[in-house]
Amino acid sequence: MRNTLAIMQRELLSLFYSPIGYVVIAGFLVLTGVIMWRGESFGPGKPASLRDVFAFAPYLLTIVVPAICMRSLSEEYRSGTFESLITAAVSDAQLVLGKYLAAMVFYTVMLAGTLVYLLLMMAYGSPDLGVAAASYLGLLLVGSMFASFGILASSLTRDQMVAWILGAVPMMLLVWFAAAIVVELQGGLRMFVQTINIRRYLDLFYQGLVTLEGVVFFLATTALFLFLSIKVVESRRWR
Amino acid sequence: MIEVRELSKFYGSFRAVENLTFSVGEGEVVGFLGPNGAGKTTTFRVLTCYHPATSGTASVAGHDVFADSMRARQQVGYLPESVPLYPEMRVREYLRFRGKLRGLDRPARERRIGEVAQRCWIREVIDRPIGQLSKGYRQRVGLADALLHNPRVLILDEPTVGLDPVQIRETGELIRELAANHTVMLSSHILPQVEATCQRMIIIHQGRIVAQGTLAELQQQTGQPPRVSVMLQGPEKDVLAAARSLPGVSEAQAAARDGWTHVTLSARPDVGEALLALCGAKGWKVRELRHEELRLEEIFVRCIMAQPDAAEPRSRSAEPRRKEKPKEKAHA
Repeated sequence: MRNTLAIMQRELLSLFYSPIGYVVIAGFLVLTGVIMWRGESFGPGKPASLRDVFAFAPYLLTIVVPAICMRSLSEEYRSGTFESLITAAVSDAQLVLGKYLAAMVFYTVMLAGTLVYLLLMMAYGSPDLGVAAASYLGLLLVGSMFASFGILASSLTRDQMVAWILGAVPMMLLVWFAAAIVVELQGGLRMFVQTINIRRYLDLFYQGLVTLEGVVFFLATTALFLFLSIKVVESRRWR
Repeated sequence: MIEVRELSKFYGSFRAVENLTFSVGEGEVVGFLGPNGAGKTTTFRVLTCYHPATSGTASVAGHDVFADSMRARQQVGYLPESVPLYPEMRVREYLRFRGKLRGLDRPARERRIGEVAQRCWIREVIDRPIGQLSKGYRQRVGLADALLHNPRVLILDEPTVGLDPVQIRETGELIRELAANHTVMLSSHILPQVEATCQRMIIIHQGRIVAQGTLAELQQQTGQPPRVSVMLQGPEKDVLAAARSLPGVSEAQAAARDGWTHVTLSARPDVGEALLALCGAKGWKVRELRHEELRLEEIFVRCIMAQPDAAEPRSRSAEPRRKEKPKEKAHA
């Protein structure tokens, strides 16, 4: 536990020291800000909700979250610090969990930036805070899934750019195209794509429904990806 | 303190080390020598539990590196060859982080950071980002990190590479001081320094031990008797005859140069006293008397050249292209 926290702290420090951290946060806030503004949520007679921002967020997150995670393990491999961590009695699991927690803290800070929109909205209207809370929970969970997948991608390569592509492209397929693909499919494959269609789960959260199905899906995928990352890290030392 | 028995490590079918057996006693400083790619780093990585051996056993401070790996790791301070550090962190931040990983609580951490910073001469850079430090300072930060948790065993992979001559000497002195409380195993290509620092050497070549022992033992193993050379004034023939008559002299040669006779004797160093007494009796002036011991460098080169395929670069032996592979992977 102590080691996990130490790894997390160090990773956060590096994220906030490096330009990547700020570029990612700024990019995310600028784009969601534009959506907020162009989405005309502030128009008279429009429903007071962050619907537009929430609907757009998963698309953006497929790009942003892998960027947060891409250096996590790749950079340790590349610079050789992986060796000094392992030989300092850090276990593979502690390393992976520390990286994941750091990514989640960073992501949460970034997401918290959008609370400003909600506050603005509260100044001029009365948004449904229950729905907003459920939506944020949904975004946190989807971020957790993306982050664990990003860490898995990073555990596979010492090249940050490759790690980003490996982490982003499958998630893009899932978020951008799953809904379009699913109508073309038949039988078992259709069932499968339907099951992993993230948007389906997220939409429930956006309606204010925190379902067991949704929570379990995101937590289970997170656990799976983290488990696989630990195994990948472990296998690197056996070769 | 370090026990290695029949240790082998293969990367695929490439033999990195094979059948290594050696031990390092408590408080010893042992030099681990060999040409590049001989398997030194591979051996260190097994000892530090970075990767498991293919066969054989190794234990550090009584803990098996495989079965009891976490406890073995806690006993070892390791300075990897490439001195990996986080360039964006400040030295103090980095050492705090490492202290946490080593399980030091806050007061102990701060105290140890102060101590190792003083020991390794990094106090003046302690608040600077590591990325801005020179190679010499980075090396010392790596050394400070290895010492941080006061480990019983120190494994230093080329601790002096990239340092200037003054720093090399300082580091050598530091390592000798450390031997009082730590068992040290180090690798280096700067053999005179190894000779001055280490009590014992293990020489490996192509993954196998080719010689080990103290300097004196190694000198003996190479089979060349020690030599004594004298520079004196006296008739060449008389000198030679007199020298040959001394006890323990197996061979003598003489040559006259610039009015001085240079004599080289194959004999134990204690022939010196007899020789000086002889010169006194004969009234020959002596300018110089010197023991010509075989230096470590010479021993090292002979050990390596004595191997059957020594002249060939290792990459041309059995597995040509494989050579780069483990290195790349290891860094990955």
